[in-house]
Amino acid sequence: MTAETVLFYVFAAVAVVASMLVIAQRNPIHSVLLLIASFGALSGLYVLLEAPFVAVIQIIVYAGAIMVLFLFVVMLLNAPHEETGHDLAVHPLLRPGPLRVGGVLAAALVVELVWALTAHGGESGAFPSGAVSSVAAIGRSLFRDYSFQFEVTSVLILVAMVGAVVLASRGPTGRAR
Amino acid sequence: MTPLLIAQIGLTLFVFVMLLNSAAIMVYVERKVAARLQQRLGPTLAGPRGMLQPLADIVKLMFKEELRPAASDWLLFSLAPIISATCAFAAFAVVPFGGSTTLFGLVPDGLPLQVADVNVAVLVIFAIASMGVYGIVLAGWSSNSKYSLLGALRSSAQMISYELSYGMALASVLVIANSLSLTDVVNRQAGAWLGVIPRWYVFLQPIGFLIFMTAGIAETNRAPFDFPEAEQELVAGYHTEYSSMRFAMFFMAEYINMVTVSAVAADLYLGGWHGPLLPESLGWVWFLIKIAAILFFYVWMRWTLPRYRYDQLMAFGWKVLLPLSVVNLIATSAAVLYFGL
Repeated sequence: MTAETVLFYVFAAVAVVASMLVIAQRNPIHSVLLLIASFGALSGLYVLLEAPFVAVIQIIVYAGAIMVLFLFVVMLLNAPHEETGHDLAVHPLLRPGPLRVGGVLAAALVVELVWALTAHGGESGAFPSGAVSSVAAIGRSLFRDYSFQFEVTSVLILVAMVGAVVLASRGPTGRAR
Repeated sequence: MTPLLIAQIGLTLFVFVMLLNSAAIMVYVERKVAARLQQRLGPTLAGPRGMLQPLADIVKLMFKEELRPAASDWLLFSLAPIISATCAFAAFAVVPFGGSTTLFGLVPDGLPLQVADVNVAVLVIFAIASMGVYGIVLAGWSSNSKYSLLGALRSSAQMISYELSYGMALASVLVIANSLSLTDVVNRQAGAWLGVIPRWYVFLQPIGFLIFMTAGIAETNRAPFDFPEAEQELVAGYHTEYSSMRFAMFFMAEYINMVTVSAVAADLYLGGWHGPLLPESLGWVWFLIKIAAILFFYVWMRWTLPRYRYDQLMAFGWKVLLPLSVVNLIATSAAVLYFGL
């Protein structure tokens, strides 16, 4: 095994284990941190694919985004532990409500994954190397070939942002709506 | 092992030790300059002119008791200073501090004076800086103390507000240099206009330079933007509950971050190791002079300006610095397109 293969398995294992631990934590802060670990491992995988630009952007975008998530957890939820009292005895994932919703979502995900893998022969699309590592190439395809999709996405994000502000905004009395 | 590999390992160790030293030197310089600005003498007892004071401080810190609040999250509490220190050291890895050297002929291929030559170096520094804030935030949260938590929240809010302007200022330079590699950016600044004025980007980007320096102060949590540790309001902010070597790691990380920000500023705006008079092989001397000048400026600012109010900081970041940096970026891009720099 070459060093790259070893590194691939290390990063992949960290990414998968950290992602699974994210949903197994009681404490939202720990979940948030495991999410960062998972994204860090993904970034390592991008480096192995010789796409340092994507790797760095992964860190910048998600580290920044998760910092906001962190603030929301600390400031809005205002509780380091999700539940108190008798609920502590049962893990959140094992309660009836979350179990059913999660089960349906998991089944849907499995079906989608199987379909996605079989419909295209299970082969990953081959990228010409260098196409994803060059910043100029990424910029050109993003702002020329895919400019419409890019702009539509940004409008979508703007709508989500306005929605979040409306939902979370405090009126002049200082109370949350 | 080839000579080049050995030289690179040696260089990595050298940079590591020098960063450690720079933190110690900065502690001394900070205290001496502060004292002079306030018409005091500063440390005078330990060693000649008090130069061994940092050493005495380190010994004192090592022998202090390691305290940990009973209600703290012990894993994150121990992890936070490590994250801070690691990120501080890691960021310098992609900063070039000189052209290549042959080490008096020992390495015929030439050894670039940079630990890792990454072609997206500017973004790597940006990414590591944004990871470094987690050290502060986790320290504040895991201490389970209200002062620490307030310091941590301030730190993250400050980072989110100032990182945008910081990034926009960086982007303006990158547009002119047409590269994301710091080595390329520095090499584009070689030579002089009209034979006198060095081709430094500070002359093309005066506003960008000011934005970068201001945001840099906010990023390194220095006065007048030292809200995460505002003593009068928050005892000591995010590191209130820390003592001994764990505190020392935060302290060290702060000074190393200052050195890194100064080095990046020197590379991006002040022509890195290029300068008049000295030969190319002594370029690192210019680099050291530039870093020293910027660091002195930081110390000078700290002891001259009082801390702003928190709402002033936020208003300044979002209503002045950010629009200014966006306008600067647009104007720079337009100029590059029009004149084809």
